[in-house]
Amino acid sequence: MASDVELEQVTKFFGDFKAVDGVSLYVAAGSFVALLGSSGAGKSTVLRMIGGFELPDDGSIRIGGRDVTALPPYRRDVNTVFQNYALFPHMTVAENVAYGLRRDGVPGAERRARVREALEMVQMLPLAHRRPSQLSGGQQQRVALARALVKRPSVLLLDEPLGALDRKLRQQMQVELKLLQHQLGTTFIFVTHDQEEALAMSDTIAVMRDGRIDQVGEPTELYDRPHTAFVASFIGAQNFFAGQIGQDQRLIADGFVIAAARLAEGAKPGERGLAGVRPEHVQLSAAEPAAPVNKVSGRVMALVMLGDMVEFVLRLPGGAELFSRLPRDAGVLPGQGQEVWAHWPVERVTLFPYEALAARESGLRRRAEQANGSA
Amino acid sequence: MAAPEPLSRGAILEPQTHRRAASASARPARAGRARRLPRSLAAYPALFWWGVFFVIPLGWMGYYSLGVKPADLAAGAVSLDDLSLANYGAATSEIFLKVFWITMRTGLLGTLACAVVGFPVAYALASYVSERWRAVLLFLLVLPYWTSFLLRTFAWRIILAPEGTLSTTLRALNILDQPLLILDTNAAVQLGIIYNYLPLMILPMYVALERIDPALRSASMDLGAGPLRTFFSVTVPLAAPGILGGLLLTFILATSDYVVPAILGGARGLMVGNLVASQILASQNLPLGSAMAILLIGMLAGVVLAIGLALWATRAALRLLRGRAV
Repeated sequence: MASDVELEQVTKFFGDFKAVDGVSLYVAAGSFVALLGSSGAGKSTVLRMIGGFELPDDGSIRIGGRDVTALPPYRRDVNTVFQNYALFPHMTVAENVAYGLRRDGVPGAERRARVREALEMVQMLPLAHRRPSQLSGGQQQRVALARALVKRPSVLLLDEPLGALDRKLRQQMQVELKLLQHQLGTTFIFVTHDQEEALAMSDTIAVMRDGRIDQVGEPTELYDRPHTAFVASFIGAQNFFAGQIGQDQRLIADGFVIAAARLAEGAKPGERGLAGVRPEHVQLSAAEPAAPVNKVSGRVMALVMLGDMVEFVLRLPGGAELFSRLPRDAGVLPGQGQEVWAHWPVERVTLFPYEALAARESGLRRRAEQANGSA
Repeated sequence: MAAPEPLSRGAILEPQTHRRAASASARPARAGRARRLPRSLAAYPALFWWGVFFVIPLGWMGYYSLGVKPADLAAGAVSLDDLSLANYGAATSEIFLKVFWITMRTGLLGTLACAVVGFPVAYALASYVSERWRAVLLFLLVLPYWTSFLLRTFAWRIILAPEGTLSTTLRALNILDQPLLILDTNAAVQLGIIYNYLPLMILPMYVALERIDPALRSASMDLGAGPLRTFFSVTVPLAAPGILGGLLLTFILATSDYVVPAILGGARGLMVGNLVASQILASQNLPLGSAMAILLIGMLAGVVLAIGLALWATRAALRLLRGRAV
């Protein structure tokens, strides 16, 4: 049933703007793949090209080994859950779901059975005679899912499928989608700008930036071994120190030295670099640690309660901020205004070539999101 | 899927009125002092206008149509001593019926032509033209309305005259070998009507088409419908209110038009509007003119009703043919 999808050097221009720039991606049959990136990264355009709504200017797309690059949407064995669901407002829920089967000429009895089955699957059968306008966002989402899956496509595309739902419902739908995908075995490709969603649902994540894929990998791989500072900052929270890359995988930062266990591709001694360490790996202590590297003193400016964890915002002597995340039951925690030493193990540090991403901003944004979430 | 319902379903089963009731009781202090005016109040000025300037005059006209033209006009425009339907008999004489038929044909053909020309224009405007050009083209579309209806229609006399622009152009292109003789005929009226009412067809259609989310067409294609199928299953039903609005507006205005036939139709291009005008203004026969006007209104209503019924029947038949979805 499920098919693999293969993109080869796919490029798309909108006028002079290169929305997608030579993207190659292999999606294994039956896998759940996320295209992750901020808005304008080209991820939706990639999805639309797989669906047939945009034609690539260059490159080719194969679904199940068959070249579909120039085929219109109605000739592809692919169905889409659209961003705002795109349910037909002049049809009932059941009519919406039946639409695709009617187009395929599925005879009446079988069609009705399949519509029922699909609506049952998303628990919308009792509302089959409603109009889309009489449904909540979550219900519309389910109908859109049923409408796409009733055709039993070999690949299902989802464009920001949970974007319009509130946080609670979104988390619930993440689990449901994941279960559904396991149960059906259909290849799911979904687009999202929400890293949590991508981490929670997919087997594989392709992180996109400026029309290119930065890195493809399993969630844990992207989290633990990001190839670029961008990926490191986009997935999970990350502290970055800017400085000069020295010998022995060290970074000379503002008054202190950071030793790293891993050197990302392109990070060369003598050039500017970024050392990345995640907040959950930054420990705090009152006394100065014995180790000569990977420590810095600072003042606790704020504590953010995250539930099982507490995030500490430290102000370093240079004015930069450093985030540390500790379990709430990790002994005596420092209080606001206290001077502490922050330190972190060498094996948790990666050195990246310098790039002008808003390192501080990314940490702050994550913190704000987390704080909102736990509120 | 896991059982998640209570969350999402609770939201929809809660009736809308609950929320409104809650918000009303949230500010009881003000409600006590000044009772809120009913929202329907906003409709009253329009209703008043419509009643005073439309319904009542129409009623008077219906009443007048039952009277007779007085022997002595100094006694008034109409004598209402003996009410009878005699005027309707006079209005349905052979010559009048012929004009009625021509009027109907001109209106229907004009509407059809406007629809055939206008729909593709509206569709292209809504779907293919970029936002910037759309504004320019819409501006150009209504630009003729900045000049008076009368002037625009008179301008067609210059174009349609036997030695006019159209005639000489067609002859220069060897399409015609003699002067074009359509001025002061029904053909000229037909052209003038299509010209004048085309924007009234395009605008409502455009508005309706423009409001259709392009994602719906994508969804239709995604589900296996080709462009033609998508057009008839998604675009047309969703644009139906605008399409019907355009058809109605054009048909009613075209059929009851008086200016275009008066200017371009001459004696051979008369329409009911001109008959009514000549009865009331020239012959000073207000009762007969009223009867004709009432007949025209009845005829229009009849046609609109018949088309509506036909549409309804077609839809019901299609639904029956398609079968249940579940």
